[in-house]
Amino acid sequence: MRQFINSGAVALALLAAAGPAQADEAALKAEVEQLRAEVAALKDAVHEMQTQRSAVAAVPVAAVAPSATVTAVPVAGTAPAPAQASAGGEREATTLWGYGELNYNHPSAHAADAQADLRRAVLGFSHSFDESTHVYGELEWEHAVTSADDQGESEVEQLYVEHALAPNYGVRAGLMLVPLGLLNEHHEPTSYYGVERNFVETAIIPSTWREGGVAGYGSTEGGLNWNVGIGTGPDLGKWDATADEGRASPLGSIHQELQLAKARDPSLWGALNWNGIPGLNVGGGVFTAKLGQGNTELPIDDTRLTLGEVHARWQSGPFDLSGLYTRGTISDTRAFNLTLLGQPTPVPKSFWGGYAQGAWRALEWDRSYLATFVRYEQFNTAASYEAQPQGLGAAAMPTQRVWTVGANYYLNPNVVFKIDYQDFRYDAAAFGYGARFDLGVGYQF
Amino acid sequence: MTTNPSLQMRWRRVLACLAGAVLAFDALAAVPATDAVELGRKIFHDDSLSASGRMSCATCHDPAHAHAPANDLAVQLGGAALDVPGFRAVPSLRYLNVDTPFVFQKDGTPSGGFDRDGRAQDLLEQAQRPFLAAHEMANADAGEVVARLRNAVYADEFRAQFGANVFDDSDLAFLAARFALSEFETKAVEFHPFDAKFDGFLAGKQTLSPQELRGFALFNRPDKGNCAACHSSTRQANGAPPVFTDYTYDSLGVPRNAQIAATADAEYFDLGLCGPDRVDLAARKDLCGAFKVPTLRNVATRHAFFHNGYFHTLKDALRFYVQRDTQPQQFYTVGANGAVDTFDDLPPALRGNVNMDEVPYDRHSGQAPRLSDAEIDDVIAFLNTLTDGYDPLTDTADPARSLAATQNSPVEK
Repeated sequence: MRQFINSGAVALALLAAAGPAQADEAALKAEVEQLRAEVAALKDAVHEMQTQRSAVAAVPVAAVAPSATVTAVPVAGTAPAPAQASAGGEREATTLWGYGELNYNHPSAHAADAQADLRRAVLGFSHSFDESTHVYGELEWEHAVTSADDQGESEVEQLYVEHALAPNYGVRAGLMLVPLGLLNEHHEPTSYYGVERNFVETAIIPSTWREGGVAGYGSTEGGLNWNVGIGTGPDLGKWDATADEGRASPLGSIHQELQLAKARDPSLWGALNWNGIPGLNVGGGVFTAKLGQGNTELPIDDTRLTLGEVHARWQSGPFDLSGLYTRGTISDTRAFNLTLLGQPTPVPKSFWGGYAQGAWRALEWDRSYLATFVRYEQFNTAASYEAQPQGLGAAAMPTQRVWTVGANYYLNPNVVFKIDYQDFRYDAAAFGYGARFDLGVGYQF
Repeated sequence: MTTNPSLQMRWRRVLACLAGAVLAFDALAAVPATDAVELGRKIFHDDSLSASGRMSCATCHDPAHAHAPANDLAVQLGGAALDVPGFRAVPSLRYLNVDTPFVFQKDGTPSGGFDRDGRAQDLLEQAQRPFLAAHEMANADAGEVVARLRNAVYADEFRAQFGANVFDDSDLAFLAARFALSEFETKAVEFHPFDAKFDGFLAGKQTLSPQELRGFALFNRPDKGNCAACHSSTRQANGAPPVFTDYTYDSLGVPRNAQIAATADAEYFDLGLCGPDRVDLAARKDLCGAFKVPTLRNVATRHAFFHNGYFHTLKDALRFYVQRDTQPQQFYTVGANGAVDTFDDLPPALRGNVNMDEVPYDRHSGQAPRLSDAEIDDVIAFLNTLTDGYDPLTDTADPARSLAATQNSPVEK
């Protein structure tokens, strides 16, 4: 699968690098056909190389970044080459990579809340035990300082072993990113527009969302990628009705991140993505899990989360268009919410969000380029609650609407400077105040 | 020099345990050893340990009344002739097993501790003053307590538990007695039965009436009663049922209570955290007037409310919460010039410490209170669901019922 993915990435990179000159549709089609032919030739060559290697005893081979990184479709340009951990030959077994971002937010009506933050610094590694078995990990620090008296966090964001059963399918086990949406698996700052990650894929799909478990993955010749898994799930026993975290992100407030995770109730997930046409990605996924986790103190044993999403992204020449819709439900919350009457944050029955985004690579200089974008989002973290006795139920949250306009300036494909302006159509401290001006810098290697 | 309260508490516990262990090793086997919990129960109910011979812990902390006074006096009477008035309303001893030593949280919020000013770090320390205070059991010193203990009907059991020579050292014997009391109050289920109607509701075994549910919602709602802001109503982090306190302190400006004899002196002020009973925070003027947020379990069975027992009905207490700022003339004296002498139980310079920011104290004179009278009734209906000893068959609750119900398993395992 990996050579196919790499070939696809090369193709996309070539396509993207072609730039505005391919405006003519006929020329573009011709080039696409040529690229397809080149991709096919590359695949044959790689396959031949692998066949030759299979005769050799298992030896460490060049490692690559986890599929989450490799399959990431960069905003433009080529995927970064993993840095070699040591100055050895061309077949190093261990590889390091990383990314980071520093952000500045300035709420226009609440200047006193302006904030600068080293949002995250991430170091990743992989190690190849043999041609088909690898381990991948990401270690993350958020908010610069982590200690008992500081707000920073130190965490393992991914850590899993992957074993390829065949060139185009395999299994993974460990702490993995849930394969939902466009952002969760591709969350490096160079991979998305805007200083902050979009609201839909943070408030509804709680990026970066990971669970521990076992998953199968694979791809077909026709460009269909699949991922199914079973693992840990959120714990509704963590719900805090007195705090606003549940209103900011229902799932973000109860996911467990494999930290002594309660694991009686397994979760199931599945995702499909089709990349059969260069530049086009269409996909969707579903995640479902019971949320009680064996809690005998709270009436939550029957509660179940179901979250689904569909998305599409089309990158052609200087244009990059994408859209996503996601909706989640939590069933059987009435009894639990009855014990929380009047509290500000009961458990929602449904929550949803969607966005449409358009970007245009406006200027280009050698390896540098400027991409402007506009994004419109709607989302609601508590669109409905299960009914309570008359007069005692909580009112649904209003739907949030956010316009974001801005630009990503890529000094090179791996270093990005960002600026944007966000207009919130609802005043809420959890999401923003009226309007916000943001600056950021990010990198990956 | 700074001291760590939790270390102090641990040290005292270690000392008490060591005392018990050392003395028990020396014990004669003439009397079968009981356990500290049962000894604590006997001490708790023993009138002979007081100067009057008519007062025990249970006199003020009546088990049948949720370990709180059975009468409606603002403060209780003690001393050799039971005619010396106290200074503060007697709190319930229930649900103190989950209280913690006094600390300042990271943000500076005072929290935890025993007694209304948190000065005692644990029940072992808390039990000391009632034996010795002139307005309570009025023993002159530890020696006098131990002399009475030596003559108690259970003295041999005390020796069997703590050693044949336990009474030779008054300080050690007094410590052992308080250790037994602490064990009793911590481990006997009757002090924390969690058998209120609300507990059944949380467990999905009982349903609340529409009025009780309305009251529950009003209790929680940040824009109405906002009671849950201090009297937490959700399960604790470990999944245990709520105790309806966050263990913090608040200055409410409760009116001066002329029923307390000490208030006859115009210069007398009970300032809670900063004195006069507590002395270590006397310089913290910003904390003056703040008293510990009590549990609301069994609050509907009380006859005196707040630290000075000024109010005698739950409805009056709730009215004070929501009407203190909208109709202050109900609670404070009005001068000849028409000015209301608000927060009159604090010196004028310290009245700025009173909480006037949070709901429901954020209203001003003439505004509608956060709760109407009908809504207060709903909240009271809910508060009645917090009374121990609930009987689903009669839909009634009685803390005395908890005592009988816990006889078969009186001690927490």
